[in-house]
Amino acid sequence: MLAKQMFEFRNYLQDEGIMFCYSGYMTEDILSGIGDAIKKKLSMDSADKATVRGVFSIFVEQVQNVIRYSAERETHDERTELSYGVLTVGKTGDHFFVSCGNAVESKDANRLKEQLEMIQSLDREGLKILYKETLRGETPEGSKGAGVGFIDIARRARQGFDFDFIETEGARAFFTMKAYI
Amino acid sequence: MDNISIEATDRSPKVDFDFEKGAFLLEGESYPENVSEFYGPVIEALSGYLEGLKDSGGTVEFNFKLIYFNSSSAKVMMGLFDSLDETAEAGVGVTINWFFEDDDDNMEELGEEFGEDLEYAKFNMKPVSA
Repeated sequence: MLAKQMFEFRNYLQDEGIMFCYSGYMTEDILSGIGDAIKKKLSMDSADKATVRGVFSIFVEQVQNVIRYSAERETHDERTELSYGVLTVGKTGDHFFVSCGNAVESKDANRLKEQLEMIQSLDREGLKILYKETLRGETPEGSKGAGVGFIDIARRARQGFDFDFIETEGARAFFTMKAYI
Repeated sequence: MDNISIEATDRSPKVDFDFEKGAFLLEGESYPENVSEFYGPVIEALSGYLEGLKDSGGTVEFNFKLIYFNSSSAKVMMGLFDSLDETAEAGVGVTINWFFEDDDDNMEELGEEFGEDLEYAKFNMKPVSA
């Protein structure tokens, strides 16, 4: 029973093309460890260097987003705070993907949705302009701005990205982003 | 001003700031857990130095040899480029060299994007064979 359950879980992940899966509290050490394994695995699969770099960068931005912004978090003391999230890295067809999910406050979900829709509407030149404006902290008034991490993901996700929200309990939503390289 | 020398880690670059020679280096990967904790003190020291250099007719060379940096580090790089350009505007001879592996289109593109906004500093793209 025990093995069957885990085996079925593993098979589900494999069917989805998932090579790496982590669900739980995310820390910077986990980011380093999994990041290192991703680089090794992709290099062994002889993915070209640009792809390995793209997957790795998007992975870093997504995990750091969870660490900084997940609404599901436990605080121990000022220096110790753990954020909960889910992460998968895998491949469908010819393209790799990196996907992260975490809880957000419902009130933040709309703002996040607007930002991501705005980013999705931009072409490469538009993304570059927004990237630089955001790095300089001079996003034009009225344009709400966007997290530089999301803009960076959009620039590196050569096959684009999807995102989605569902309402969950306690005035929260569950946010997912999936970027394709 | 005391020179700054910090060894690289897996997640933070080597920092070599030689204030006497006006030679500065950032080399390696940059995605530290806390960007402001890592860069805050070194950028502060550099800003003070650059401020004092204005109108002195001195020269500064800054070498960026980064393999990878995350988006929070990119804010720091952009700030560095802007303050180096301001220093050049005030009459200091500033040279910025951007090293990148020749098969790394992304780092090449980032170098070009940062470099194109410079008005006074001299900027060189330096491909290195991977």
